Amino acid sequence: MSLAIAGMGWVTPLGTGIDSVWQRLVDGDQAAATTVFDESVKRVYNVFRVQESVTKGFDHPRLRRASAISRFAAIAGLQALESAGLKLDSRNAERIALIFAISNGGVIYTKRFYRAIVNTGAQTASPLLFPETVFNAPASHVAAILGVTGASYTLVGDGAVGLAAIKMAEEVMDNEALDYCLVVGTEEVDWLLCDAYRRWRLLRQAPPIEPYGNQNRGMVLSEGAGAVLVARNGVSSIESAHAGGYFATQSQAGEVLERIVRDLAKVEIDVVISSANGTFIDRAESRVLHELTPNAVVYTAKPALGESVGAAGLWQVIIAAQALSSAEIPPVLHAHSTVPLRLARSRTPIPNARNAIVLSCGLNQQAAGLRLAIR
Amino acid sequence: MAEADKQQSANSPARVAVTAAGVVSPLGFGLAETLESLRSARDCVTPVMRFSVAQCRCKTSGQVADARLLANRAETLHSARLHRASHMMIQALQEVVTQQPGFEPELTVIGTTSGGMSHGERYYRSLQRAKDLRHAPTWIANYPAQKPVIDAQAAFGILAPCQVIANACASGTNAIGHAFECVRSGRNRRVLAGGYDALAEMVFVGFDSLQASTPEKCRPFDRHRSGMVLGEGAAVLALEDLDFARKRGASILAEITGYGISTDNFHITQPEPSGIGARQAMERALKSAHISAIDIDYVNAHGTATVFNDAAEGKAISALFNGVPVSSTKSMMGHSLGAAGAIEAIVCLLALQHQFLPPNINFTSLDDDLDVNIVANEARAVLVRTALSNSFGFGGTNASIIMRKFEA
Repeated sequence: MSLAIAGMGWVTPLGTGIDSVWQRLVDGDQAAATTVFDESVKRVYNVFRVQESVTKGFDHPRLRRASAISRFAAIAGLQALESAGLKLDSRNAERIALIFAISNGGVIYTKRFYRAIVNTGAQTASPLLFPETVFNAPASHVAAILGVTGASYTLVGDGAVGLAAIKMAEEVMDNEALDYCLVVGTEEVDWLLCDAYRRWRLLRQAPPIEPYGNQNRGMVLSEGAGAVLVARNGVSSIESAHAGGYFATQSQAGEVLERIVRDLAKVEIDVVISSANGTFIDRAESRVLHELTPNAVVYTAKPALGESVGAAGLWQVIIAAQALSSAEIPPVLHAHSTVPLRLARSRTPIPNARNAIVLSCGLNQQAAGLRLAIR
Repeated sequence: MAEADKQQSANSPARVAVTAAGVVSPLGFGLAETLESLRSARDCVTPVMRFSVAQCRCKTSGQVADARLLANRAETLHSARLHRASHMMIQALQEVVTQQPGFEPELTVIGTTSGGMSHGERYYRSLQRAKDLRHAPTWIANYPAQKPVIDAQAAFGILAPCQVIANACASGTNAIGHAFECVRSGRNRRVLAGGYDALAEMVFVGFDSLQASTPEKCRPFDRHRSGMVLGEGAAVLALEDLDFARKRGASILAEITGYGISTDNFHITQPEPSGIGARQAMERALKSAHISAIDIDYVNAHGTATVFNDAAEGKAISALFNGVPVSSTKSMMGHSLGAAGAIEAIVCLLALQHQFLPPNINFTSLDDDLDVNIVANEARAVLVRTALSNSFGFGGTNASIIMRKFEA
């Protein structure tokens, strides 16, 4: 069964709104880095944050105590519905499913909640914060805001979880009682995450993210949300959502990616939106794409937008859909000059492009992919 | 799957068999010990030993003993680094693999709420003390929610892609329900499904801070109920297209016949008081199974023993069913969150296989406002053909599955 994208929305460090962020990507803009720190530790990290102006003024009673992750998700989700011209009411609220893709979840409140336990004891732990630490809190808020009463799932994983969520949407849409599935990937950034990824040798202290380099200098974390409204009809068609797989060690990532790309590249692929982010992922993706899709134009948005983990896959899907519909691809920033791939070094027209692969290799052992086509 | 098979599946949905099951919980290691605990109405809730609960109201939980959990692990550095949750998943999957050595899943769907949370706690505490951080990379690597699932699959050479569902306390039932739909639709022939969660301080304190957990015994649906106790464990079921399973000569433990999911948007931690969300999930499961309420012989309730949850679920059950026997087996083992739905699916499986009603222990007398037929304190030997299992979670997420005794 081939499904389609009926609407899209995103909240990114480069702003919000499909067209305006797309324009900034095409113009070669990079989000501005800001620093994050922890009260008790001296080390400072650079991240790409969503600017406060993006969420300012967006309010709903359910979001009164909610963390940033839920706000990003709600804004992106509503954008996707709006762009599809879909208004939910009690009649059609049962005919839409909600699938959330999350990796680290509400880490800001989780840290705050646990800090109280560690520093001042369990008796001081806040009952208001705890519910917001649960992985499905953002999905719960968005379901309440939209009035969704049917299926709602929160899928947890690494950077591949966004595409896994699209795959799950395909499975959920086997149910003919559903007309739509809103897939939202969302993430918020915090000092604690930066520290964790640094200890794991995946983080770069400060931008730029240099994709496909000979050395894995690391990624810079970011935050935001991406939302895709999956429907039975639309301009961009999800031709094949690959279930993906897992790899036991980083060195085996390429084997899983190869399986995915072989399955997806059964037609001529014009564009690949990769997940290269300056880590071990890049070499694996680069080798596989060089071998299996040598003619495709390859793009990664991570140098411009950062690594938003749970939101990243949805951003990639949106970028693929935008590239196919607008027939151009933004420039890949900070890429090494000797990369054996067809990278767009500047804003590049792709007039006859029909098929795109979105490839997502996570930092925690999961990989997934999908093929998008323009109808 | 071949196109022809897909076409056939579209015409007539596949029947979904459970061909293997594995469990580790406070009730025991494996199906046999679990059955024995259920039949003997064993109270498996014990004082918490893993972390300090001195400042908590609640001091007890259902716990899986480390001495047994870690006794059989491979003596490798890799194994020593794994989170307890990984060992629970490995133990549960070991039982499945032993029953069905030839089972090669195309997909794995597992529910959880907290992943390797205790590793995150250790990392944060070490950061605060600014020492003992040399193990931090190991803790961080074993913290993600998908890691115990990948560890368990890797231990048995299973390569299936995994979906990890985190729908709070409904996660395990959602995982089984989604896996059921994937097989029934013909999309997949063999899927592993289940759930896991390991006890963690942050979660324990969280429920305590909400005053959802009790310093007393867990008494679901009782007029003196005062809250839940937490638990932990893992359970995995092998789901398979029934025709395909029979062709390959697999033994069929039971069938899953229905799944219902609903979202009530009342409150992030409290159910809609009339029980509409719970009722919708059960109604949708009945519709999915093409049966009516009268066909259900047993309801394994979510039954956390909190005042609000039991009131809402009790209302939903009494509105839908006429005197069906109901028990919450959380009274015996605590609430294992993301694992609960999967463990309770195995409780239903055992009830169907061995023809008995699992008990709701610590029960004194029914809440005056409820009209529910509780299986009080002792297991009952009766005819059980069809069972329904409920799981409801934070965020208003509700799920029900229906299982049927397999009759060739």
